[in-house]
Amino acid sequence: MAAIGVTCGLALFVTACGEAPDSDSGNESVATDFKACMVTDTGGVEDRSFNASAWQGMTAAAEQQPAIEVDVKESSSEADYETNLVGFINEGCNLIVAVGGLMSEALTTVAADYPDQRFAIVDAYLPDSPNVYSMEFNAAQSSFLAGYLAAGTTETDKVATYGGLNIPPVTIFMDGFAEGVEYYNEVNDADVAVLGWNHETQDGSFADNFEDTAKGKSLTENFVSQGADVIFPVAGKTGMGTPAVTQTEEGLSTIWVDLDGCESAPEYCEEFLTTSEKNIPDAVSSAIIAARDGGPMDGHSVGTLDNGGVSLSPLRDDIDDELAAEIEEVKAGIVSGEITIESTVQPTE
Amino acid sequence: MANDHIDLTVEPGEIHALLGENGAGKSTLMNMLYGLLTPDGGEIAISYPERGEDEETIHRFETPGDALSAGLGMVHQHFMLVPVFTVAENVMLGREKTSGIGLLDRRRARTAVREVSEQYGLYVDPDALIEDIPVGVQQRVEIIKALISDCELLILDEPTAVLTPQEIDELLEIMRQLREDGKSIVFISHKLKEVKAIADRITVIRHGRVVGEATPEASESELASLMVGRDVRLTVEKDASQPGEPALTINDLTVADDRGFHAVDGLDLTVHAGEIVGVAGVQGNGQTELAEAIMALAPTLGGTIHIGGSELAHAGTSRIIEAGVGYIPEDRSFDGLVKEFSIEENLILNRYNKPPYASMGMLNAVEISRSAEEHIKTFDVRTPSAQTPAGSLSGGNQQKVIVAREFSRPLKLLVAAQPTRGVDVGAMEFIHSRIVAERDSGAGVLLISSELDEVLSLSDRVVVMYDGKIVAEVTPDTPRDQIGRLMAGATADATETDQPDGDQQEEATGD
Amino acid sequence: MTDADKPGRAPDDDTLDDDLDDETQADEPEVQAADAEAKQIEEERRRGFGATFIGYVTTANTVMVTVYSFLLSMVIGGVLVIVSDPEVRGTFGYFFSRPTDALSASWEAVSGVYTGLFSGAILNFDTLDRYFADDATLAQVLAPLSETLTYSSALILAGLAVGLAFRAGLFNIGAQGQVIMGVVGAGVVGFALGLPLWLHLPLAILAGGVAGFLFGAVPGALKAWTGAHEVITSIMLNYVALYALGWILTSEFVRDPDKTHAISKEVADTATLPRLSEFELFTGLRVNLGILVAIAVAVGVWWLLSKSTLGYRMRAVGLNANASKTAGMSVSSTYITTMGLAGGLAGLAGAVTVLGIHPYALTHHVAGEIGFDGITVALLGRAKPGGIVAAGLLFGAMRAGASTMQSVIPLDMVTLLQALIVIFIAAPALVKAMLHLKVPTGGLATSTAKGW
Repeated sequence: MAAIGVTCGLALFVTACGEAPDSDSGNESVATDFKACMVTDTGGVEDRSFNASAWQGMTAAAEQQPAIEVDVKESSSEADYETNLVGFINEGCNLIVAVGGLMSEALTTVAADYPDQRFAIVDAYLPDSPNVYSMEFNAAQSSFLAGYLAAGTTETDKVATYGGLNIPPVTIFMDGFAEGVEYYNEVNDADVAVLGWNHETQDGSFADNFEDTAKGKSLTENFVSQGADVIFPVAGKTGMGTPAVTQTEEGLSTIWVDLDGCESAPEYCEEFLTTSEKNIPDAVSSAIIAARDGGPMDGHSVGTLDNGGVSLSPLRDDIDDELAAEIEEVKAGIVSGEITIESTVQPTE
Repeated sequence: MANDHIDLTVEPGEIHALLGENGAGKSTLMNMLYGLLTPDGGEIAISYPERGEDEETIHRFETPGDALSAGLGMVHQHFMLVPVFTVAENVMLGREKTSGIGLLDRRRARTAVREVSEQYGLYVDPDALIEDIPVGVQQRVEIIKALISDCELLILDEPTAVLTPQEIDELLEIMRQLREDGKSIVFISHKLKEVKAIADRITVIRHGRVVGEATPEASESELASLMVGRDVRLTVEKDASQPGEPALTINDLTVADDRGFHAVDGLDLTVHAGEIVGVAGVQGNGQTELAEAIMALAPTLGGTIHIGGSELAHAGTSRIIEAGVGYIPEDRSFDGLVKEFSIEENLILNRYNKPPYASMGMLNAVEISRSAEEHIKTFDVRTPSAQTPAGSLSGGNQQKVIVAREFSRPLKLLVAAQPTRGVDVGAMEFIHSRIVAERDSGAGVLLISSELDEVLSLSDRVVVMYDGKIVAEVTPDTPRDQIGRLMAGATADATETDQPDGDQQEEATGD
Repeated sequence: MTDADKPGRAPDDDTLDDDLDDETQADEPEVQAADAEAKQIEEERRRGFGATFIGYVTTANTVMVTVYSFLLSMVIGGVLVIVSDPEVRGTFGYFFSRPTDALSASWEAVSGVYTGLFSGAILNFDTLDRYFADDATLAQVLAPLSETLTYSSALILAGLAVGLAFRAGLFNIGAQGQVIMGVVGAGVVGFALGLPLWLHLPLAILAGGVAGFLFGAVPGALKAWTGAHEVITSIMLNYVALYALGWILTSEFVRDPDKTHAISKEVADTATLPRLSEFELFTGLRVNLGILVAIAVAVGVWWLLSKSTLGYRMRAVGLNANASKTAGMSVSSTYITTMGLAGGLAGLAGAVTVLGIHPYALTHHVAGEIGFDGITVALLGRAKPGGIVAAGLLFGAMRAGASTMQSVIPLDMVTLLQALIVIFIAAPALVKAMLHLKVPTGGLATSTAKGW
């Protein structure tokens, strides 16, 4: 104990002799007139998934409009949702963004108790709350493209996907992915199989949580041993187990979800063919800016390929141009409505 | 204050006995000497002429390490040994010697153990595991530990409390050997016989003060009254027994011990109402298991136990207690008391859910306190209050709490195992008189004790137990050495010369 | 298992702390100990109030040690806040050229954290000012307390679940699983039945307790009948409960078909614990009847342990199973009953959670970490009902304060600070050593170390 104290003291002493900065050289702080606050779900702000995406949107808004100030509270349990929402109300936030469908119950109540407070929610739709702006994303569309890409890339004619939990925000990705592979088979007369998800029975492989990387690893190893070479995990942190496996062997690759893998997990960038992105950051930042500009308190946006709310991130360099061009065509087909996606869990506009 | 201005001088080559009741402050004094406790005043001076030190050095031991280096060794009442280590490993514990590459030098430790054990006649196998060797041998290991670190003054704290009569004799022999070698010994005890047998000088302490010095020539009753502070009777006064109906009948009982050996092996025994039957025997011959089987605490392998005519073994311990069986367990802190519980809570331990102490699942605090006060008075439990935790009482008073609990209801049968173990003279006198009173009021008493004196002075009939069986029945006036031979496994025939009543013997050994 | 590491070698009574000095004193004349005590009291009387007070605050008695642990943890926590904040750390880089920067930055950071804790858990002075300026409602002033009590109810119940088992010598690590089962029992009864409030709510609470009881009794029975250690079995049963919950959530009967995420149907209004906010004056306060349930149950547990024969038996078995058996008690049935009751208490913790807090439905994380926090609460409360209520309130306050503290430091740091406070309170010997407090007659260190 004493030794630590001495060491610390010494360290402080040695580094404490720097020059003081001029007191007036500090950043000119602009007066802020709008405070946007975000409450995460139990995943926390560092989840490399939708909480992280939403926070990215928050900071982006603050950068665009220096008059916007942002803050975040993390929830360590579901009981914290209400506390954090109300806490921000007391701190005088102008707009409070709730992240994740699991917060919809808590938000409904709080929104009813504070009818003059503006709220927004990511990944849920609360049509009955007149002061909540809802943001949803039709991830089936981007995942359809991801599935097409996977089918076009596989050497073994087997691709795989798994989810965190069997719940619509997850299975929407898996549905789109499976349908994309089917579409590829149809168009190219191929026979690529999808492991881990059957979109007709709505059943497949799940890790049963979003935090256990080891579980993601073992699921992935399982798929690899069954011959799959492109794996699409839809499981938050659990999914980080997949690139950890695919990097160990030549010819295996991962398709990431939510937030561009090359930015959220740069150490595995080489492993990602692409990311089926939910463009939460843009949706969040534009919602904040719209709110500051006095837009309506309620509303509902669904991110699509058309409006850029969902998209594929830039494809990995080694993907041939022909396939890339085909994907652009498929995308155009979806936007124009020529190609319809069957998934029943898609949000309606 | 546990010690109040005590002066004590121990000469080289002397066995100095420290005599006092439990709780007189003997252990506190020695713990101070050994550096486990710090004295509030006074000093401890030590010199070793044989080491060429003439000047007396004043010592204040802050830790046992200080005491060790000053040549003090201590054998505690409770051994400080690691059960899963061998003798040699235990001996080198704390002063591990390593060979060149950092490995423990077991061979050197073994040799050292052998040397010391041969020098003083302390025979111990250096490779035996502590948990496998008897208590008496474990004690030798403690002594060896002290001797190996060049100790000149050895403190033995109640060393005989845990030993069988044979082991006690052996220990006394070892002490004589050490004295011849010029070692000094402080021998702490409250057992008058042993103190008289071995000590060169005797210091008696009471209530933390030295109350007298004596020589071994002093009579036992002199020493006892010094110790207790009043006159005590050392013999039990009782009238002849008037046996009635059988209170306990045991037929062909077989009980296994923890390891599956037949600790009780085809035993037959009858205890009548109104008599005290003493079981003599060296500890470990099945006495513990016998008592536990009667109380349905250990499963029996065969045979029957009838208490007052009915077989209750399958009904469970609580039914047996309810049927009027009192039990003083052998190990009071383990089986008899909940040390953290107050005295009043301990006094209702086996009747906590019975009227008047409880009704409808609720404790009756008023009645519990009231009867506790009464029992504390009747049974002379010395305690600041009824709320005092039982564990903070001295051994004798703890035992009185158990006795009070068991004797405060009408008994048909009393099973008393080592009822006065570790109890001082005053308490012993009291407990004995209560047992006799219980007999006189019509209870059958089964007395199990490894103290032969106790068995002989208290019992109306004595049975000798050896290897799980009753090997002989004798009268209490049988000479000690004859009973001693029976306890050691000699057959009854071989000792029959002095046996006046052959019938009784047959009754015990036959079938 | 030796005596020393037996968890049930439960907290020595305070009286014991005072009169007893462990082994060495076992031989001492008790009458003299009493004399000594009387003398000490006499001496204190003569010394007068001032000296007595100084004597009191420099001695390692239970109250002062708790106070000091709190202060010490705040000091060390403050150092951590300074070290962890890059801006504040930056000002130390030029400490010698302008120390005021470093000092004021440190002060700001540290005081911000602790005011955050206080204003989130007890009282926010800003709100109070606004209240007097007629700018805030009474409810807003009371909001922090309401939050503290809301969190505390489940924590107290879970703490009791662990503490009760402790008293019978059992280490109930399975509280988390029992809480989950309680959540399921209460939740299912809550949404599946349609009954009037006076019947539905008690029935739902009871269902939680019963579910917890049955689940808790399992490790007790395994220990009693097969000797399997309850720590291992109850840890494993935590996983059983967690995955069972996941499976239950997928069933048609439970799952809410209108929701996109994994969540059960919502508990009917007749089964939710009434909130204080139902009175107009207290709109927005989410404290509910759960805290009263928790305190009532704590009183019940106190009664059980100290006044009932069952509690006597549980304590006796916990402290010395051999002596209890010798006295005719059935140790195995005590184990089963105790674990069952402990499970029932944890089940109630689950019930007040699902019936009292959003989303009023089963989800994967609905039980949070309540069961595990219950272990800490029980340890902190020294396994005594009163202590557990206090520890539960303290823990609840820290949970409530976490929200406001986050405006200054990240959540991880908040959790770390809270852990520090717990460590210091749970390790009085450490505090005693760090502050060189005098050991009172008896020796606090030995008894507390033996306690846990």
